[in-house]
Amino acid sequence: MNGEDPQERPEIIRNIINGLERYNPEAAGTLETYLQQQCEEKFCDSNANRALLKLYQLNPDRIKDEVITNILVKAMTQFPSPQFDLAMHLLSPSHSNPGPNSSSELAEAVSKLRALNAQLEGAQYDRFWATLESDDLYADLTTDIAGFEDMIRVRIAQLISHAYREISVSVLENWLGLDGEAKVKAFVTETCGWKVGEDGVVQIPRNPENEAKKSEVREDVTIDMFSRVIKRSWEEIA
Amino acid sequence: MSTYANGMAPLQDDSDIEEEALVADYKEQVQYEDGLDDEVASMSMAQQPDDIQSRLAQAAQPLDFNAPLEAKFQSYDAYCSLFHFILNSEGPVDLEPPSYYWAWDVIDEFIYQFNSFSSYRARIARQGQTPDEAQMLRENPNTWGCYSVLNVLYSLIQKSQIIEQLGAQKRNEDPAAVAGDYGNKSLYKMLGYFSIIGLLRVHCLLGDFSLALKTMDDIELTKKAQFARVMAAHFTTYYYVGFSYMMMRRYGDAIRMFSHILVYVSRTKNFQKSAQYDSITKKNEQMYALIAICVAFHHTRLDDTIHTALREKYGDQLLKLQRGGPESLPIFEELFRQACPKFISPVPPNFDDPESNVDPIEHHLAIFMDEVKTNMWSPTVKSYLKLYTTMDLKKLAGFLDVKPDELRSWLLVNKQRTKQLRWSDRTLLEGDLVNVSDLDYAMQGDLIHISEAKVGRKLVDWYLRNLSRTYN
Repeated sequence: MNGEDPQERPEIIRNIINGLERYNPEAAGTLETYLQQQCEEKFCDSNANRALLKLYQLNPDRIKDEVITNILVKAMTQFPSPQFDLAMHLLSPSHSNPGPNSSSELAEAVSKLRALNAQLEGAQYDRFWATLESDDLYADLTTDIAGFEDMIRVRIAQLISHAYREISVSVLENWLGLDGEAKVKAFVTETCGWKVGEDGVVQIPRNPENEAKKSEVREDVTIDMFSRVIKRSWEEIA
Repeated sequence: MSTYANGMAPLQDDSDIEEEALVADYKEQVQYEDGLDDEVASMSMAQQPDDIQSRLAQAAQPLDFNAPLEAKFQSYDAYCSLFHFILNSEGPVDLEPPSYYWAWDVIDEFIYQFNSFSSYRARIARQGQTPDEAQMLRENPNTWGCYSVLNVLYSLIQKSQIIEQLGAQKRNEDPAAVAGDYGNKSLYKMLGYFSIIGLLRVHCLLGDFSLALKTMDDIELTKKAQFARVMAAHFTTYYYVGFSYMMMRRYGDAIRMFSHILVYVSRTKNFQKSAQYDSITKKNEQMYALIAICVAFHHTRLDDTIHTALREKYGDQLLKLQRGGPESLPIFEELFRQACPKFISPVPPNFDDPESNVDPIEHHLAIFMDEVKTNMWSPTVKSYLKLYTTMDLKKLAGFLDVKPDELRSWLLVNKQRTKQLRWSDRTLLEGDLVNVSDLDYAMQGDLIHISEAKVGRKLVDWYLRNLSRTYN
């Protein structure tokens, strides 16, 4: 699973999440610092972040709103994957369902992020960029995550390369959230290493995912499969 | 092999023989428990609360569902004092468990009571109609507290060195060598072992599905596993592992879990006691509902028995799920509600503001439904693509009466979801990323190239099954 057990994870974090220390409320501080490191150094350790959410789940007095939203944004960058949902499952129901009398800022932020995540999971990339622009709150929520937009853009490009052999610049422009053909062309040639044809169609190199090769699944038959039958028939004769 | 250290002859490595043995075991277990019930009844009649054997037996007895709050508090205290005695006496206590199944029953009942207490407490807070009970619950926030339940389970696991023992077993070494003073006693060993399965369950109830599966790292899910000898444990383990897989979008693995246990149940149902069978029947139905959900996400060939039963029980629903679209959403919700564990919140509810307490089931369902909605057009997309080898995107969008942009998203979603993590002989959480669909496609601008993997008929299984029938 994307962003589950990254190589960057230090020893101290490994000890926390693999032992009983994960239940010590004092461990929250260490995990929070580690989250900050993930935000700055552009990697994601969803497993460790879930340990932090678990501590919050058991000790609600420790909750820091911006830590929860940062964890969700980090999980979102791993799309498509269950990471965001797995983090959501650890939140208190009252954090994700703003009650009629509550005006909780956290609940509002969580429901905004959930909508944003649904667009990434649903491959509605054009809508994702539009939603991101539509409200200043999103800028606040993603400000701690270094390179958030770039990470999303690169991931979208990667997913496109798994499904497309050729794609028009205009579709890419919407999906990558870039203004103008010039920027799109620069991005796909420099960052992705794709080629832009004279007709304005972007050529994506062949890879196992975008081949859609015909295949035939045949049953492998080995003698082992019949060992029981053979044994039995032999025993019955004997 | 050492799992069968309890005087059972080692089994041949032959799946069918193993299963026969399990069935025979189970028969014995049913008869044994008949005897146990009488024993317990006579014990409580003798009124010897100080007798430790009767306390052990009592701990395995179900608490009446309608028991008053006081009884629930008392039961919690009784468990605390019993576990305190077992864990914190000087050195291991010298006791033999009343039966082979006792340890499972105790852990099972302990968690069941924790679960139903938490649900009850949340319900009182939501309804806000019984101030006396609310007051009592408010004043005792630590009764049946999550930390104490986790503490008991982890302590039993640590004291018994069960993780080390299972590790030794896996390496074909003698577990007794690493079991320590406590772990060599069957009381501790059994309690430790079933506490692992207890943890799987508690983590799942709290919505931590990956930690639930991680807990099972040291237990191999084979018919040789110790839990397989206790029917209820066998059943519970597969239900929670399967459910956790489903929540992690590993539908193929979930189906494998549910199918395994359902086939096993169908083999043993002829001699199950009626009362016991009732509780199994309920979970059985739940697992069929979960299989229906998983199959809707991930079409696959099911075992014949399962397939027939699924069509009988959920035929109409399955059809709607597999058709997808907005009409399928209420069916997903209905089946999920019916078949999910009774999720709980680990902290006491807010008694002052009844409306702020959301039922955790609704919380988890809502998150699950996000993924359902993301995928709801995949069946439509697939059903059309199957008919062509190449297709123009705009033309297909016209057939489906949607905007081309919409269809592009559907195509991407469906393609992305064909990659799934699948278990392969390592720990439950690990797996290989595999392509699970027989339909693949790639886009060249607006032209969709489609290829379908041809699956040859699988004959070996059919042949063997019919051959064995002629022998019988």
